[in-house]
Amino acid sequence: MVFMGIDIGSTTSKGVLMNEEQAILAQHLVHAGIGTSGPAAVKKELLAAAGLQDEDIDYTVVTGYGRRTYAEADSQVSELSCHAKGSAFLFPDVRMVIDIGGQDAKVIRLDSHGRMTDFVMNDKCAAGTGRFLEVMAGILQMDVSELEQEAAKATQTLRISSTCTVFAESEVISQLAAGAEIPALVKGICGSVASRTAGLVRRMGVEEKVCMSGGVANNGAVRRAMEEELGTEILYSPLAQFAGALGAALYAMEKAGKEKEHE
Amino acid sequence: MISDVLAKMQAAAENPQALKERYLAEGRKIVLTAPVYTPAEIIHSMGLVPMGAWGGDTQLNAAKKYYPAFLCAIVQSITELGMRGVYDGVSAILVPSLCDSLKVLGENWKYAVPEIPFIPMTYPQNRKPEYALDFTVAGYRRVIRDLEQITGSSFSEERLKESMALYNEHNALMRQVSAELAAHPEITAAERSAIFKSAWFLRREEHCGLCRELLDELKNNSAGNEKKIPVAVTGILADAPGLLKILDENGLQIVADDVAAESRQYRTDSVIGEDALYSLARKFSARDCCSVLYDPEKKRVEALVETAKAAGARGVLMILTKFCDPEEFDYPLIRRACTAAGLPFVSIETDRQMENHEQAATIIETFRDMMED
Repeated sequence: MVFMGIDIGSTTSKGVLMNEEQAILAQHLVHAGIGTSGPAAVKKELLAAAGLQDEDIDYTVVTGYGRRTYAEADSQVSELSCHAKGSAFLFPDVRMVIDIGGQDAKVIRLDSHGRMTDFVMNDKCAAGTGRFLEVMAGILQMDVSELEQEAAKATQTLRISSTCTVFAESEVISQLAAGAEIPALVKGICGSVASRTAGLVRRMGVEEKVCMSGGVANNGAVRRAMEEELGTEILYSPLAQFAGALGAALYAMEKAGKEKEHE
Repeated sequence: MISDVLAKMQAAAENPQALKERYLAEGRKIVLTAPVYTPAEIIHSMGLVPMGAWGGDTQLNAAKKYYPAFLCAIVQSITELGMRGVYDGVSAILVPSLCDSLKVLGENWKYAVPEIPFIPMTYPQNRKPEYALDFTVAGYRRVIRDLEQITGSSFSEERLKESMALYNEHNALMRQVSAELAAHPEITAAERSAIFKSAWFLRREEHCGLCRELLDELKNNSAGNEKKIPVAVTGILADAPGLLKILDENGLQIVADDVAAESRQYRTDSVIGEDALYSLARKFSARDCCSVLYDPEKKRVEALVETAKAAGARGVLMILTKFCDPEEFDYPLIRRACTAAGLPFVSIETDRQMENHEQAATIIETFRDMMED
């Protein structure tokens, strides 16, 4: 049997195909999120990569900000539940998940069975999200993916406000005007995202072990800044950005099983 | 039929403007009562109609002249509606001094809506000691004096006792309704809200009648087989239609509430003694478990957990009014107590101008998942 999880975010669409042994058959990411052809492209690529047809998929769960817009799914599950499940799959011992996506940040607490017991979300504000990094990268004429490498060159850190993206933007422009070193500025920008989200984590109380999911998890500079902020190791998987889609595929497996029981 | 009674309550909750016009056409005088506790019994006893003014879901434009963006949206929207003429025709507004934002409301109201007189009700911070009763009664006397001057109505202790008895009766009815609703999952969160909200606008005599009808109907109708997840709700307000719709869409049933605009109003009765004003002051003194009432022991927190458990709630939802300091102070304590009690807990921040509830929908869906696991 084949199960598909689709995660439609604000800036990207991700998908995972999984079989009943919980083996990942394919995963794919497209840099186009809600309201675009991204989800359809993800599905097409997943099927091609796994050598499957549409009808081979037994059950699909969709998650993410754009979950309500995807009519092809059998059911939808919130992205918090999916990130919790996906992260517990990647790190069975994990007790806290920090998910920083394109437009929001969430902190999820799990029990020893990988069940979600608590969560908090950020305010409706771009500070501390992937959008913040995009805006800052734009000012510096860089791609978001270049930020980690640039921060690695820094010999010092310039502190950037974590309160507001708009204020931080003018702060960065002022720093540029004052001749600030770009790597130090980038390190400060990454630190700003970590600082903002660390506040959310502290609201719940830091629990060992902590992992990061979502697109921002791929930025090592943010992960390291987060480790410094929280004083604990941050677990990371190259599949971090797929945690939501992975969780959705696992939900698809569960839901298909339950439906079979009812038959 | 239940639907007939509910329709009457919904009509009142959704269109208080029409009720205001009806009362004015009947020759009645209306006095607005701002959140959270006002001596509405005094207003009623003087032959006036108290109508709640808790603002409304609207864009804030005119009120921005008087307030910064980070002030309680309830207070801002009350001023906004006042400045837009929504309250035109009422005789006065009574504003209690129960939080910093309400104090600001009263002072700004005098300039923002000068055509509707502002009457302050100043309560003591420490309401339990005997001397606090004198302070509260002095506040009531000021209210009475202002009402007499503004409306030409007169006050009598005997009529106040009658009004207090009516309000006690209504309290009891509302408590019964709330308990009965817990056994009726077919009543939606939106309908439940209308039952409570309509009490702010309808004359007490009318609302008592509707409550009696509703109770009869609820008792005579079986609950059906609908399975919902029972939850308890806490906060200042829980009346945003968009949010209530999300609760209904996710199959959540409010089986108990600790909402300031809902059950908190009906917990405490007056013990009517010889001196009516002191009896009313004792009612205020006896109130507890509320964020705007000073309590160094924060009994509200444990009381909420107990209420939720007693009602069989599987989780607690806090609807946090944005920039409401008293509720924000209680938030971490409530969160901790619910978690310790094994009750899944979430909070949703709302203000009076939310048009997009996407984040709230995600939170509620996840909350449901947590309770279903």
